[in-house]
Amino acid sequence: MTTAMPSAGPHAAPPTTALSARSLVVSYGHTPALRGVSLDVARGEILAVTGPSGSGKSTLLLCLAGILVPDVGEVGFGDRCISAESEASRSRLRRGEFGVLFQFGQLVPELTAAENVALPLLLAGCRRKAAITAAHTWLERFGVDELASAQPSSMSGGQAQRVAVARALVSEPEVLFADEPTGAMDTLAGEKVMAELVRVARQAGTTVVLVTHDAGIASYGDREVHVRDGLLDEAPRVTATHVASGAR
Amino acid sequence: MNRGPADTGPTLTTLLRLAVTGGRVDLMRIMLTVIGAAAATIGLLTAATVASIGASDGPYGLTVLNEPGLRPGVIIVLLLLCVPILSFVGQCVRVGAPARDRRLAAFRMAGGTPSNVRGIVAIETGLAATAGGVVGVGVYAVLHAVLRHPPPRHPVLPGQIETGAVAGAPILPTDVWPTWWLLVLASALVPLGATVASLVAMRRITVSPFGVLHRHSHRPPATLPAVLFTVGVAGLVLWGSVAERLGLTDEGPGAFGAVALLLFVMAVVGLVFGTAALAYQIGRWLAPRAGHPALLIASRRLVDAPFTASRASSVVVLAVMLGSAVQGTRADFLVITDPTETFYRDTFTLLNIVLAVGVAMAVAGLLVTAVEGVITRRRTLAALAASGTPRRVLGEAVLLETVVPLAPAILLAAAAGLFAARGLFGTAGGVRQGIGGRSSQVAVPVPWTDLGILAGGTLAAVCLVTAVSLLFLRRSTDLRELRAAA
Repeated sequence: MTTAMPSAGPHAAPPTTALSARSLVVSYGHTPALRGVSLDVARGEILAVTGPSGSGKSTLLLCLAGILVPDVGEVGFGDRCISAESEASRSRLRRGEFGVLFQFGQLVPELTAAENVALPLLLAGCRRKAAITAAHTWLERFGVDELASAQPSSMSGGQAQRVAVARALVSEPEVLFADEPTGAMDTLAGEKVMAELVRVARQAGTTVVLVTHDAGIASYGDREVHVRDGLLDEAPRVTATHVASGAR
Repeated sequence: MNRGPADTGPTLTTLLRLAVTGGRVDLMRIMLTVIGAAAATIGLLTAATVASIGASDGPYGLTVLNEPGLRPGVIIVLLLLCVPILSFVGQCVRVGAPARDRRLAAFRMAGGTPSNVRGIVAIETGLAATAGGVVGVGVYAVLHAVLRHPPPRHPVLPGQIETGAVAGAPILPTDVWPTWWLLVLASALVPLGATVASLVAMRRITVSPFGVLHRHSHRPPATLPAVLFTVGVAGLVLWGSVAERLGLTDEGPGAFGAVALLLFVMAVVGLVFGTAALAYQIGRWLAPRAGHPALLIASRRLVDAPFTASRASSVVVLAVMLGSAVQGTRADFLVITDPTETFYRDTFTLLNIVLAVGVAMAVAGLLVTAVEGVITRRRTLAALAASGTPRRVLGEAVLLETVVPLAPAILLAAAAGLFAARGLFGTAGGVRQGIGGRSSQVAVPVPWTDLGILAGGTLAAVCLVTAVSLLFLRRSTDLRELRAAA
């Protein structure tokens, strides 16, 4: 069951807003992680969330993706208040409308690259043949189609992350959440993966929430917000670095 | 920095302290190892007691012990019962391995040497198994004292069978203690075996300051076990009639029994080692065809790590094969023996109880393996759950990974055991009609009900324990695992 966001209240999200967070408070035991964060993410926007280790940026992403329910506050997706929805409902959301990408660990080690990418489609009820065909298309898009039959253990970090990006995007989500997506890669491989991710996201009009502590990776975002000690320190800016390089 | 006159490495006390350091999971591993080692020691001491029964001992209420010729069989059954128990101990020492691995890696980072690490692991396992051995000896001694009462001697009356139950006799040989060397052997075997096994297992593990590398063999399981199993079962099926034609059955059990035992051992070894090959082949066939996510994950797991599940499931399969052979033999004996004679009926009832205990221990080992599998893969499971994979699907994958290879293996084991019994003892038995009457051949019925209970019950127990292991799935897919991964 989905829960609607209060439309007439002061926190109602405008129609162009993909995601909205209102006064999020999260604590791990006695340790506060978020201390009243409010944020809007526009449709099609690439938002970079930066901050030092332990600042709360990953916790913010987990809340926005519906993985973590805040102790206080609301998270909205369109007109839905996802923080008030059930675990099952939020899981369905992450299978369909959201794509999630982590630094590592998200690929099933026993499955081939094609099967890993096809997994979200199979979960959605797609037939195997169609899912595998779609997986090949996405692997080709990220230049790793030759690894379709390979298992993650036989891939380099960069190759595995490209497969993971393909899997996060195969169900054509409205929002992609990426937590340190290039953290396990060298700079060059990370740049390549980011360039491809941004290019594909732009083409599909996908909203991206990108958590990183790397200023170079953050520069791929349209906007950057900085999290420090669980509070948001927004410094509006437009990154120009990758406009010229054709990444967008 | 002054490090003293000589750097001799950590003292035994330090290693001892490090070995017993750990969290709740480590404590659980140690406790399970203690329990398993205690149970195995009790089993070995019981076998040693039966082996120590002398000519002047007894008689006992458990009439099978009154026949000196049947005692070796009782000892073999008790030793076989120790197999699932020792397998359980083997599974227990793996509980919480990831947490222990991190601890050992941190120890290496702090300057510990590989031999120090091996010492810590050996001390931990050895201490737990020794504690289990001591508990086992203690429980055995207490039970021995509690159950003991003087064996009353009753004169054997004319017409009374001497091997039968004697009124007032103790049920078990509580008047007998194992000979000193058997007592020492039975008490020391489990701690020594567990320590050596842990050291051997460490040969496949490299503990570096940056983590622990488990060297897994990626070779597919060999097909030799399948050949052994097929030859063994086919031989058992045919051996009865072949031996009869050769006249071997008339010459006593010597040659006939030796060949039958050899064939049975071949079938058992083939089945035990063949469960991994079976799991691999099933997974390889299913994986390219599986359209359901849970079946896909399970079948790929079977291809990738066929030995993981087979470690515990092979003992379950062994128990079913032995159980099925016992049921087939029982059906034959019930046909050819006097219905009023309760000796064989009681003996087979006792065997069924032992089998039930064996199956229970084997299934308990499977539970430990299933839980360990879930905990070991917690990062992947947590990431899958975070990306929207329903926990139901992940649970189904765990269940299928256990049940898919085990269901056909159990059926195969039940069929093999039955064929072996019917091949050796025949499908018809001679029954004499009254005193001095003519002997007629009566067909030995297939014990469908007993086999159904054995195979169905085992499979149900396997499903139950796997379902129990899913209780750990929720914790393993917890957000904190994801944060640990990231």
